[in-house]
Amino acid sequence: MKQIRAFSSASAGMPDKRDDRTMRRPVLKIRSKLWLGLCLGACIFSPIIYSQNASNAAGDEAAITLLNGKCATCHGQSRMSELDTRNRESLLKGGSRGPAIVPGKAAESRLFLAIKREGDLKMPPNVTLPAADVEAIRQWIDRGANWPSTVKVVEQPTFWSFRKPVRSAVPQVSDTLWAKNAIDAFVLARMEKEGMRPAPAADRRTLIRRVSFDLTGLPPDATDVDAFVSDQSPDAYSKVVEKYLASPRYGEHWGKAYLDLVRYADTAGFETDHFYPNAWRYRDYVVSAFNTDKPYNEFVQEQIAADEIWSNNMDGDGSTRAPEKKQQDLLRRVGTGLFTVGSFPIEYTYFGEEARAEWQSEAVDVTGAAFLGLTVGCAKCHDHKFDPIRQKDYYSLAAFFAGSEEREIPLVNAFAVQTYNRQMPLIQFAEKLKSSGAGGGRGRGGAAAGRAAAVKPGVAGDQAALPAAAPGADANAEPSADPTRELSAAQMATRAVAMQKLGEAYARLPTKYATATVLAHSDSIPETHIMVRGDWKQKGALTEPATPPFLGTGPAVNEPKDVLVVPQRRKALALWLTSPENPLFARVEVNRIWQALFSYGLVRTPNDFGRQGDAPTHPELLDWLATEFVEKGYSVKQLTRLIMLSNAYQQGSVGDIQNVKKDPENFYLSRMNRRRLNSDSIRDTILATSGNLNLKAGGMSVIVPLNKEEMEAARMPQLWPPEPDPREWFRRSIYLQIKRSLTLPMLAIFDSPDSAVSCARRDVSTVAPQALALMNGDFAVAQADLFAAQVKKEAGDVPDEQVNKAWRRAFGRIPTAREKEIALDYLQKNSLSRLCLFIFNITEFIYVD
Amino acid sequence: MSTERGANERMLDPKVLRDDSRRRFLRDAGLGLGWLAALDLSGELSPAFAEGAPSNPLAPKTPPLPATAKSMISLFMQGGPSQVDTYDPKPLLTKYNGQHPPESFGNAQFQDGQFKTSLLLGTRRTFGKYGQSGLEISDLFPHTAPLADDLAVVRSCYHEGFTHSQAQFLINNGWPRIGRPSLGAWVMYGLGTENANLPGFVVLLQGGVRTGSAVYGNGFLPAIYQGTTFRSGSNPILNLKRPEGMSAQDQRQMLDSLGKISENYIEERQQDAELTARLSSYELAFRMQMSAPEATDISTESDETKKLYGLDDPNAKAASFGGRCLLARRLVERGVRFVQVWSGDGMNATDWDGHAQCDQNHLDRAKETDKGVAALLVDLKRRGLLDSTLVTWGGEFGRSPTSDGGGDGPSDKGGRDHNPYGFTTWYAGGGVKGGKTIGETDELGLRATVDPVHLHDMHASTLAMLGLDHTKLTYRYLGRDFRLTDVAGKTDLAAKLKA
Repeated sequence: MKQIRAFSSASAGMPDKRDDRTMRRPVLKIRSKLWLGLCLGACIFSPIIYSQNASNAAGDEAAITLLNGKCATCHGQSRMSELDTRNRESLLKGGSRGPAIVPGKAAESRLFLAIKREGDLKMPPNVTLPAADVEAIRQWIDRGANWPSTVKVVEQPTFWSFRKPVRSAVPQVSDTLWAKNAIDAFVLARMEKEGMRPAPAADRRTLIRRVSFDLTGLPPDATDVDAFVSDQSPDAYSKVVEKYLASPRYGEHWGKAYLDLVRYADTAGFETDHFYPNAWRYRDYVVSAFNTDKPYNEFVQEQIAADEIWSNNMDGDGSTRAPEKKQQDLLRRVGTGLFTVGSFPIEYTYFGEEARAEWQSEAVDVTGAAFLGLTVGCAKCHDHKFDPIRQKDYYSLAAFFAGSEEREIPLVNAFAVQTYNRQMPLIQFAEKLKSSGAGGGRGRGGAAAGRAAAVKPGVAGDQAALPAAAPGADANAEPSADPTRELSAAQMATRAVAMQKLGEAYARLPTKYATATVLAHSDSIPETHIMVRGDWKQKGALTEPATPPFLGTGPAVNEPKDVLVVPQRRKALALWLTSPENPLFARVEVNRIWQALFSYGLVRTPNDFGRQGDAPTHPELLDWLATEFVEKGYSVKQLTRLIMLSNAYQQGSVGDIQNVKKDPENFYLSRMNRRRLNSDSIRDTILATSGNLNLKAGGMSVIVPLNKEEMEAARMPQLWPPEPDPREWFRRSIYLQIKRSLTLPMLAIFDSPDSAVSCARRDVSTVAPQALALMNGDFAVAQADLFAAQVKKEAGDVPDEQVNKAWRRAFGRIPTAREKEIALDYLQKNSLSRLCLFIFNITEFIYVD
Repeated sequence: MSTERGANERMLDPKVLRDDSRRRFLRDAGLGLGWLAALDLSGELSPAFAEGAPSNPLAPKTPPLPATAKSMISLFMQGGPSQVDTYDPKPLLTKYNGQHPPESFGNAQFQDGQFKTSLLLGTRRTFGKYGQSGLEISDLFPHTAPLADDLAVVRSCYHEGFTHSQAQFLINNGWPRIGRPSLGAWVMYGLGTENANLPGFVVLLQGGVRTGSAVYGNGFLPAIYQGTTFRSGSNPILNLKRPEGMSAQDQRQMLDSLGKISENYIEERQQDAELTARLSSYELAFRMQMSAPEATDISTESDETKKLYGLDDPNAKAASFGGRCLLARRLVERGVRFVQVWSGDGMNATDWDGHAQCDQNHLDRAKETDKGVAALLVDLKRRGLLDSTLVTWGGEFGRSPTSDGGGDGPSDKGGRDHNPYGFTTWYAGGGVKGGKTIGETDELGLRATVDPVHLHDMHASTLAMLGLDHTKLTYRYLGRDFRLTDVAGKTDLAAKLKA
């Protein structure tokens, strides 16, 4: 009957990075008694103690408890290597390697040899069991591996993150004044246990700057800072939080972090680096979802399966005004664009099947990382080494995506499409002019593009109709070079006339109606096989859609086999993923929300909640937040508000030095973590400070001009035509085009992710090229000039006033006496522009307390 | 490296666990990152970090294994040079020129066509025997050929990627897609660099890169390990040039003011090491502005040297490639760990990508590179640097022994398709005993048949020459200990190169 609930006391230990350490303590207590008993037994009785009649019920139970605690997470429901350690029969039967135990003969039992770590197989994979545990199991096997009928089979996985979160009681704390809400109680209880005190609250200037950056990625206006500082009303702080939560800039900042998570970019990467013309619609969809606080479960459901869950969208609706419900459902479908913006090596997807396998894998990887917080991708080539994810599970997940493919759909009704189509003769006329030689370019695209189009519609659809490749064309068809290179003067003149005509013809063309690239269904659902070693050519067993068994009962897919149906696979996956029964979904998301506000999550490996990831520093708090999140309808804003209103969040970043020494990593949250702004915020903040930030929201991604050096590695610079309108260059960073093969140096230098895979948390590096970018870079220097012009407009020619105004713009405050002295001294020897450049380089400018 | 410890040891030893956690934290927080940590001017870390303070991740490290090379120059022939026209003569191919391959050779998939349905294309080059060793080299390389006794030509390289990006990622990052660290980044991670004032991993490009910059990127390793592109001239690194009208003195003034204005700020924040590290990064940036232009300033080189590298060559691309080779030598001389010199700008006609008129394409490329390559070897040797510098030459793959079939039908264009199944890379210096060939392709030059060397073996062996064990040079990312060679890689090539 006894079950050691290893996880229940996980918080008792240090928040070590390995779960097994936190789980070890309670087990240790039992074990030490047992160990003592065994030693005594061995001394008093006989050297041979493995006789079957030497019964030891307590020892048997303890051994089985060890098996349940240490083995059953993987060798339970998940039956890694076909082994189930949860009962005697299945141990005797064993797994793919043969029987696990030979009763009476530990030395011949695979299980024992594995935990002893003798031979090839060493288990558990990432931890050596303490010698006493190994010994207990040896004795148990030698005693005959008895299985008392009082021991129940474990149903639940034993690893903490694979069990459903349970809302724990809010702990009692001694400082009830400080503990303003439940979050504070959990945080303070932990500190009190360690004999720590929270840091004093941050002052109001610090606080509003923190709130503004955390919620919008932008600095607060100086006037807002002043208003908050002088606001005597009791709800002054919560008003500030509400103000920024309601700002449209909030969705941009939080949306950007989400786009990192789902490895968003505007091109496919690799040599051909195909362009995703509608990627921005998905980006705008994400920003809007955060701004409107769309329930997070619904948000994720839409991205995985809006077309299957809300299938009554506008497809084929010919009416001039579609019902509002249909229009809404259509916009939900834009969310499935998630699976159309990944990194995709289109130039080597020579075979349809390979391309499909590639796409399905990518879909599983991003889904696993973003919504399960697990390194599912490890199981592509083999069973996961540390988590109970079998290779079979990987391809069962992939099977959810079988029968889906991307498609460009109109976002307008059929009538609007026809309105455009009836102007086709104008388009054909222009095309004719162009192909008659006016344009100079010849149609190239080649076989590869055709092949790609066949398997990935919507990417190269236009090129699919082209004849076979031009002579010598590579898979990477190159846009024609300057066509005028070898023309005579007369030819040039003729060409000029033709170009004029062509230009006029193009000017008359209708503007194409709005489209989005979304998921749709293929005509049939192809089979999904396990790919042996991840190689698509080596087909293993056939898989059906199914979720990993260790995460509980999976969804049912109801698809009749022999009639035409709308596939329901992704719907099943989406509903299961977002169900409160999924132990990971809410935990993983609340952890990311926490991370956005504290720099680190309660689990510091936000995309790895598996056994190789970190254990939570505050497990009860994490689960409390997860259940609260579910109860309050998955409102990201509500949870954010709750955290921000806590005293834990409002702490200053300077704590007691003893606490800092004792807990340098600040696991116990006895102060706020100081952080550097991310690359996007640094650029946006420079623009905001110089007074040039263009707050226009949404729309097609902007191509900013880059200098010669920055363009150096660009293979086809002509495919980076800079936006002609300079005001567009000053849009927020989220609206700049992300080209996978050409990183924007200003952002890359400050650790922008490479969009290769899901990025749940950006690295923060401090390197000399960052200093060079802020001291010498074209962007910083140009913005410093504009900043100076702004200061001059506000302050005139009086240096003292210039310094005041500049400081107010940059830091939301006037300078201290010492700062002013240094600044004035600098200004005496340098121009105002240089002073402004100097300010961009001050640490405080890009750091938040 | 924390990852050298066994996982078990790490789990059981709470101190190690703590160190590991701290190290990762420091990495994440950027403390001690940059070419800056060792240069911490204050010399003081905040009390919080004093114990077990991070060491400079770029400080030179003693290699764990006996090394024959200290630094490396990779001469990267973008596009993929043809083995049968350069270092791997195939008389049988010439004999059967214009015919379909015999059935016995089976089939192979190229980018634009298939082996068995294409026509064999014999070389138009003439091979000669050079050096005391009599190494066979084609007439494409009149300057390199006399150095035959320095070259170990590996004729049996192979991998699985038959398109450029896949193959460039494989050859440089050991994995066919974006996201993994490059060889140079791994070497930096393993060995650090000897000159803190210069980037330790420098990339000298001709122009565009087919795969984008990820091919010399840091992947999941910290950003300090990424390759930095260098140009010749006074502004070799992006943003190195001061703004118009700002002198070095002016900038010094800015740095001094930054230091002053930071005093209180850092003081009030308990000497947060990250904040002091940031100031140090400015000092390093300042020094880099001196040392990088000095490294690229070739005015101190003798006329003889400049001529040797062909800087006076009327062929601008040859002069430019020669300049990059000279720069490579100057960088290695100054303690830079890893330099990659690129030939080709990422476009078919101007890379080694001879889909059409492969012979002419290679004649052009050879004219652009031969002198520079030879000069580099000669110059390294006479300066006593060749012994400690491993030099490699090769592309992301070789080329097909058949005519390119890419939509051409039966080709009369004399083009060659991509061929990853058997191709040539040569090694010199850094402990390599030259004047020999290693491995063989079949009689047509299609596949590696004798002593095949997979790209993971190339990487394992290259790391071995530098004193690194490819199975131990690991980095934990997303719950897994990654390495350059994935789960494969043999080092016997290293033994053969040294023998």
